[in-house]
Amino acid sequence: MSTTTEAEADIKTAKRRASEGKRDEARLGMMLVAPAVIVMLAVAAYPILYAIYLSFFRADLRTPDANEFIWFDNYVTVLSSSIWWQAFGVTMFLTIVGATLELAFGMALAVVMHRTLIGRGIVRTSALVPYGIVTVVAAFSWRFAWTQGIGWLAGDSAPLTERWPSLWIIVLAEVWKTVPFMALLLMAGLALVPEDLLKAASMDGANAWQRFWRITVPLIKPSILVALLFRTLDAFRIFDNIYVLTNGANDTSSVSIIAYNNLIRGLNLGIGSTMAVLIFLTTAIIAFLFVKLFGAAAPGQGEAR
Amino acid sequence: MTAATETTGKKFGWAAADLVVLLYAFIPVVWIISLSLKGDDTLNDGNYLPRNPTGEAYSTIFQNDDFIRALINSIGICLISTFIALVLGTMAAYAIARLEFPGKRTIVATALLVSMFPQIALVTPLFKIETAIGIFDTWLGLIIPYVTFALPLAIYTLSAFFREIPWELEKAAKMDGATPYQAFRKVIAPLAMPGVFTTAILAFIACWNDFLFAISLTSTNNARTVPAAMSYFTGATTFEKPTAAIAAAAVVITIPIVIFVLFFQRRIVAGLTSGAVKG
Amino acid sequence: MRHPGHEARRKAYAALGIAAFALGGLAACGGDDNGVPVINLYGGASAAGFDKIIADCNEQAGGEYEIVGNLLPSDADGQREQMVRRLAAQDDSMDLLGMDVTWTAEFAEAGWIREITGDQAAAATEDTLQPTIDTATWDDKLYGIPKHTNVQILWYRKSLVPEAPTTWEQVVEQAQKLADEGKPHIIGMTAAQYEGYVVVFNTILASLGGTLVNEDSSAPTVDDKTVEALDILSNFATSDLASKSLGNSQEPEVFAQMQNGEAAFIVNWPYVLSAMRQADPEIAKDLGFARLPEFEGGQDARATLGGMNYAISEYSKHPDETYDAAMCLRSPEHQLQTALESGDPPVAPSVYEEPEFQDAYPMYEVMLDELETAVPRPVTPLYQNISTIVSTTLSPPTSIDPQQTADDLESSIQDAIDGKGILP
Repeated sequence: MSTTTEAEADIKTAKRRASEGKRDEARLGMMLVAPAVIVMLAVAAYPILYAIYLSFFRADLRTPDANEFIWFDNYVTVLSSSIWWQAFGVTMFLTIVGATLELAFGMALAVVMHRTLIGRGIVRTSALVPYGIVTVVAAFSWRFAWTQGIGWLAGDSAPLTERWPSLWIIVLAEVWKTVPFMALLLMAGLALVPEDLLKAASMDGANAWQRFWRITVPLIKPSILVALLFRTLDAFRIFDNIYVLTNGANDTSSVSIIAYNNLIRGLNLGIGSTMAVLIFLTTAIIAFLFVKLFGAAAPGQGEAR
Repeated sequence: MTAATETTGKKFGWAAADLVVLLYAFIPVVWIISLSLKGDDTLNDGNYLPRNPTGEAYSTIFQNDDFIRALINSIGICLISTFIALVLGTMAAYAIARLEFPGKRTIVATALLVSMFPQIALVTPLFKIETAIGIFDTWLGLIIPYVTFALPLAIYTLSAFFREIPWELEKAAKMDGATPYQAFRKVIAPLAMPGVFTTAILAFIACWNDFLFAISLTSTNNARTVPAAMSYFTGATTFEKPTAAIAAAAVVITIPIVIFVLFFQRRIVAGLTSGAVKG
Repeated sequence: MRHPGHEARRKAYAALGIAAFALGGLAACGGDDNGVPVINLYGGASAAGFDKIIADCNEQAGGEYEIVGNLLPSDADGQREQMVRRLAAQDDSMDLLGMDVTWTAEFAEAGWIREITGDQAAAATEDTLQPTIDTATWDDKLYGIPKHTNVQILWYRKSLVPEAPTTWEQVVEQAQKLADEGKPHIIGMTAAQYEGYVVVFNTILASLGGTLVNEDSSAPTVDDKTVEALDILSNFATSDLASKSLGNSQEPEVFAQMQNGEAAFIVNWPYVLSAMRQADPEIAKDLGFARLPEFEGGQDARATLGGMNYAISEYSKHPDETYDAAMCLRSPEHQLQTALESGDPPVAPSVYEEPEFQDAYPMYEVMLDELETAVPRPVTPLYQNISTIVSTTLSPPTSIDPQQTADDLESSIQDAIDGKGILP
């Protein structure tokens, strides 16, 4: 019987050590995460909650004592306005077209940045210059370039006075600016693809195209999804380029421009906060879709250990 | 085809690809540089290159004390923000990617939530908090928001990166007697460097180019950064935009970014060497 | 067991703490300098050469106060954004506010600026053009001290236009003739979706005798005069006398249209002359100027006023010193200086008789004539809303349908007054 007791004791000790180990791990995990969480909560919690709170009031910055609780009236006003939905449509268009182009070009750029045989340093540094230039100045230079008579791209036409040419110029400005962002995130992922695998495949006769689609892409899928997720969330909140290029003329306003006009120009805290919450909810839905449908792994899930 | 011709062919191909990248990056940038070199007489002539280049704009901005001070502010604030975001982000990302602890999912969701909320609605409450605490118009007053909004992307990027590093390496280190922290510092961290430096570049550029917080959370050149300072440039009269000066300022402030990236890009290198996992 | 994560976290906190101490010390304190009250000026402090005027006033103050000029974004909207945020937070570190002429009603109604009464009001309005005083008045009370003003005038190419036109029909006629001869013929005006477009529309509407809101801003006054103004705009925009980029034209673009030899006429502010002398001296010599044309037969055009008024913040700790500082900064001598160095026309009629001013502004007579009959933009606390509504409803200029657009304007303005709906 002593062997069984010994075995039982051994099992008990092992279990205790394992759960101690798990507790230590949990403690370490929480301590490592704590500073980041504390900073994020301390700074963003009050402003976000305050904005959500204000969205249920009729509130004007000029009359701080006249706030009136009106339940969901603000939401009804915004959601039943054609101005909002018009801007929503424009924003969706810019987001989807922009993100798609940025992913495609970003991938191409990432491959070049990662694998080029000559001038690697120059290419990598140059490729990041568009991303490093202050957005409003870049936007202003695009506006200048596309203005009739004084710009080198416009010649004698005036594309910024019409809706679709304006939208495409906005796409151009956005894509030019943020392709390096995508390329950088994708390149960090490309760096993790083991050389051996690719060499082995090439020795087996796979050409560059096949190696790319069959080996590289599946391996960097997590990076692609992270890059796409963050880029889409940012793209939905596009503001600077539109503000400088057209200021929303010809129905090219995005939801952020409308929110800005109501919150900052009109000083309407209630409506402005409502729009901010709606923009946030939309981006939350987009993130949710990414995680559920495309399987963007929210960090911390998946992979068995 | 001999090996030599194949390599030359490949080099040629990559050189062509390089050229395309350079054209993509620089055609609009040359236009901005050209605007900065145009005088009043040629500003509106629609030429891609300046006909009568003049360095007037550059001397104007360097004589502007506020601009110089803003440059210093930008460099200091962004370096500090990037560093802090990296430290906090790496710790958090490692924990999220590698360790099990309660509330992990909530934290990840919170991080994403923070980065998703439109910043324009947060500016006024943040302004109120900062004036109440007394950090309005200080370096700290900008560093804290920049770190906050850089953390979500940092955590996501780094944890996606940490997840890809083979678990075997860590196990091997543990079996050799290392504690989790030592395993992290000596084995994982070096392999995570590409992710770390990528995040560093992204965080730095985000801080460098930020306009909204820089304008709203500063009021003197104590803490005003360059994008804000640029929006304060005035032309000769109210209706004249100082185009050349703004373009010159943009060119000048892109140079530190170029240096920063040049320095770091060598470290965003193919991460795992083939020998790491064997033995 | 060691807690290495703990150690790392402590290091991080230490770094943060040190940083906080070191940098918290850089906290701005808008306090007083050795007991001398500091008057913080926000707005217009960065105009060319204005620092000399500030230095001059500090000298004249002789220790009673010290004016410190603070920077703001160079565009009016950006300035308003910053000021409003801090005024709403009852920030006492702003004393003297340089307000755009359209903000008076809004700031006054919100209780952010002090009323100026009695002797102070009398002194502030002495030797000052009446229309500019109107822009500083709300609800029959004076809230601002006019500092400088601005009006658009009609610029034209003397070599193309033998005799300055006096009515809008004449302008159109002469431009059409030039067009037929294949010469530069565009009439340039600002019609991008922004404030400058509202200025132009307001000029046309006011010249026809119309307004957008009634006096106490309780109802829109959109009527057949509005339709007529929209008609004029619409006809112009769809003709080939308007630039193709009319819907994207702000002041710099309109200026360029004259510089590049596209335009025969432009409607723009007085800065055009000095700027053109820098940009293209040939064309500058060919520049003629005239009053804005009559839009209604026999009735002088009523130009829209631009400019800036000084106001005293409600939360300022030194209101009397602030008033004195303002009066010094905008004294007639300093108005002359400002006009010469940064192109901001004076509000004091006496300055218009100074030879120095007349030399630099050969169009001073035209300006004075226009200033005497000039009108403000709609005086209402809801001006920002109305401005946004007008510029978006009337954009693009080529798709204005006079009756429909007027109806849209009326319902949108009514919504804004009732606090309903959202801004586009």
